[in-house]
Amino acid sequence: MAVARTESPGLSRYVLPILGLIALGLCGAGILVLYDPQGGPNLLASLYDALGNTSGATALRNGEGDQVVAKILLAVIALAVGVGGIWLLFIGVGGAVSMLQAKWRDRILPWVFVGPALVLLAVFLVYPAAGTILRSLQDDKGQFTLANFAVMVEPEFTQILRNNVIWLILGTGLSVVLGLIFAGLFDRIRRESLAKTIIFLPLAISLVGASVIWGFVYAWQPAGQPQIGLLNAVLVGLGGQPISWLTTNPINIICEIVILVWLQTGFAMVVFSASIKGVSGEVLEAARLDGANERQLFARVIVPMIRGSIITVSTTIAIVTLKIFDIVYVTTGGRFGDDVVANRMFHEIFQFFEDGRGAALATLLFIAVLPVMYINLRNFKRQQVEG
Amino acid sequence: MAKTLRTTSALAGVVMIVVAACGSSSSSPSAAASVAAPSVAAPSVAASVAPSASAAASAAASAPPAAAVPTVPTGYTELDKALGADKPFSGKKVSIQTQWVGGEGTNFAASVADFAKATGINIQIDSIGSSHETVLKTRIEGGKPPDLAQLAQPTPVLAYAAQGKVIDVATFMDAKKLSAEHPATIGLVTQGSKIWGIPYKADVKSTIWYPIKAFAAKGYTVPTTWDELIKLSDKIVADGSNPWCISAGGPGDATGWQLTDWVEEVVLKTKGPAYYNDWINHKVTFQDPGIKDALDKYVGKIFFTPNYVFGTNTAIVPQDQKTTMDPMFTADLATPKCWMQKIPTWYGPDFFPDQRATGQPSKYVLGTDVGIFPFPTIDPAQKNAEGSADTMMMLADRPEVRAVAEFLATPQGIQKWIEAGSAISTNTSTPAAWYAGAYKLKVAADIANTASAIGFDASDLMPGKVGAGTFWTQMDQWVNSGGTNTDAVLKAIDDSWPAS
Repeated sequence: MAVARTESPGLSRYVLPILGLIALGLCGAGILVLYDPQGGPNLLASLYDALGNTSGATALRNGEGDQVVAKILLAVIALAVGVGGIWLLFIGVGGAVSMLQAKWRDRILPWVFVGPALVLLAVFLVYPAAGTILRSLQDDKGQFTLANFAVMVEPEFTQILRNNVIWLILGTGLSVVLGLIFAGLFDRIRRESLAKTIIFLPLAISLVGASVIWGFVYAWQPAGQPQIGLLNAVLVGLGGQPISWLTTNPINIICEIVILVWLQTGFAMVVFSASIKGVSGEVLEAARLDGANERQLFARVIVPMIRGSIITVSTTIAIVTLKIFDIVYVTTGGRFGDDVVANRMFHEIFQFFEDGRGAALATLLFIAVLPVMYINLRNFKRQQVEG
Repeated sequence: MAKTLRTTSALAGVVMIVVAACGSSSSSPSAAASVAAPSVAAPSVAASVAPSASAAASAAASAPPAAAVPTVPTGYTELDKALGADKPFSGKKVSIQTQWVGGEGTNFAASVADFAKATGINIQIDSIGSSHETVLKTRIEGGKPPDLAQLAQPTPVLAYAAQGKVIDVATFMDAKKLSAEHPATIGLVTQGSKIWGIPYKADVKSTIWYPIKAFAAKGYTVPTTWDELIKLSDKIVADGSNPWCISAGGPGDATGWQLTDWVEEVVLKTKGPAYYNDWINHKVTFQDPGIKDALDKYVGKIFFTPNYVFGTNTAIVPQDQKTTMDPMFTADLATPKCWMQKIPTWYGPDFFPDQRATGQPSKYVLGTDVGIFPFPTIDPAQKNAEGSADTMMMLADRPEVRAVAEFLATPQGIQKWIEAGSAISTNTSTPAAWYAGAYKLKVAADIANTASAIGFDASDLMPGKVGAGTFWTQMDQWVNSGGTNTDAVLKAIDDSWPAS
């Protein structure tokens, strides 16, 4: 744009809209390809035809041949249309609005940029959430009922709710405390970044991947068979009996929480570490002059000063533990007294065909997350005021 | 075997399972009230009864590379059209979603390949694997279902039918022919005059796998009665080994289905088909003495007698179904650490340790190294066996979909899979020659032949909340407790039965 302007302002007036129109057309064509279920293979087949590879094209049209290439092509188009489309939308509408009178422009412009996000939020978050709450209050025939919530006091559901509370307390607590300890200790060692990297690395692993990895740690074989699980191998090596970690309640809940802590400690540590670095050296020096030892310094000065970060990290991890699904689903399916709300919700809907109960569980989860969200938002606000 | 979905008990009530082989003696009149009767693995039954048919078939089969396509006229309208010289449906697409992956997926694809070639219909198979039912539900409710879908249990088929999502195949297929050819299984998906699916593949569950040569070396004989089974087990214990390898089916989501199979087996063999049906419909509760006996007197006897189970009863639940039988293969099956496993006919060499480790075909041969014997009779008057069947459900009504559905209803629809040695057709007109040489299928056919009634997997017919929920989890708890909490466990299952 800048280049065009220096060369010839007259030309750019036409070039930009034309380029825009071409891009718009490409976007439209891309959407058409994406909409057609056979779009990827067909497009690639046309390309092959143009390149003279007729046999390849026929194979593609018959659902054989380079299907993977077709899928990659489709992914590239999706990415281009998605990112480019949004970019075009903002540029285009922004440009159109800026042609208006200043008075109107200032009023409309913010909505142009917030609008798409609001629409997406309404369609993909508010609408389904409202639908879920409504469904939780209906029976299978659409009549109003509270039965879906009434069953939540039965032992099998109170056990699930209890498990979620255990997750919330232990999962969040351990991650935050360990993260804080590591951040505090690593602040004073020589190879700080190396140590932090080691703790931080697991965060790059997905919950499912981590569950599979830990599945091998907890693996069990009958006594007398070679133990392939790390924990049991150590246990048997020391002369003990193998323990079936994942099927023995309540040990299995702790074992699953350990997986989450392994992942989340790194996140907590990195945030805390950054905050600790932000604590001014003068304050620390003043405290030391006042006679505080290092432990007091950490507990009475540093921790209160990074309170904001602690709240943010705690609430973030708390929400993760409330919504926890992957770990339970992969390790045991929640079959051994270790079920949690999100996993049960999935089972109610997809295995028991109890959509109402599933919706009720989702609603419960939503309500449980609300206070955590509130704390988090209030914390943000206060930080803004302080800042 | 995967999870079941839920339906109301009213629906389950409509489903009557029990079947009498060979349409013979003990047919179960009241039980079969709603629909037709005989035999799950009847294909081979019928064939063995009618030698002329099998002779003709073997003659046909001896011209090897013949395409697995039925000859016109097939008795089905769209199928005849599709196979016509003008290939009217050529280029049309039909999608089938299944849970079959790996070997099963390959075999199913091979079964429809010749037909696709002959008709020009582009058959797209979506092999989903373990999340099949989840994906299917999403696709159906999203309004873009596959044209056809396989389901291992009749319960969800009827549940989708109740929602109006399933095409009644009786509207375009010859219902009489369909019912006559699938006498054992069509009743599972029939409601009145409506037929909600096509029975496709059958499995026999009353099978126990054992090491043949080691049995011979020790002088053990295959038990045919419960007493002999217990005597043999005691003898193995006396010889310093553990007779049983048992897994609950896990680890993970489906843990428990093998335990429910044990209970079902014993109920069928002690109480018979009518009682079994009432149990499925909850007319007989879990707290009924018959069910309690099945647990305490029979299943518990195997599970909890000291030294019977390799690793003791506490090993059953955490044991992985994939590796359960590994101890049997100690020293190339010469000195098994456990001797018997009850597992259905779909089990096979792909679970043996050498094939699992290398991916190469197992060196252990079925019928020479590893054998299968029928689960022994308990009450001599109850010669019943347990089975299960896969159903093809039609979700879109177009001529080419009809043609594919009709093709799947013919024996040729599963011919390649049968010839690969790992499927049993639900269709009684299947030529016996196709099963030739397949040890596993021969055993299954023998079981079906000698059984007076075959009960469909009960937990698969109960509401999902019970059949894939509490029945599994409570059995896990029962096994872990060493059988001390039978009453509490059975009450918990009864309490979880949906009210509606």
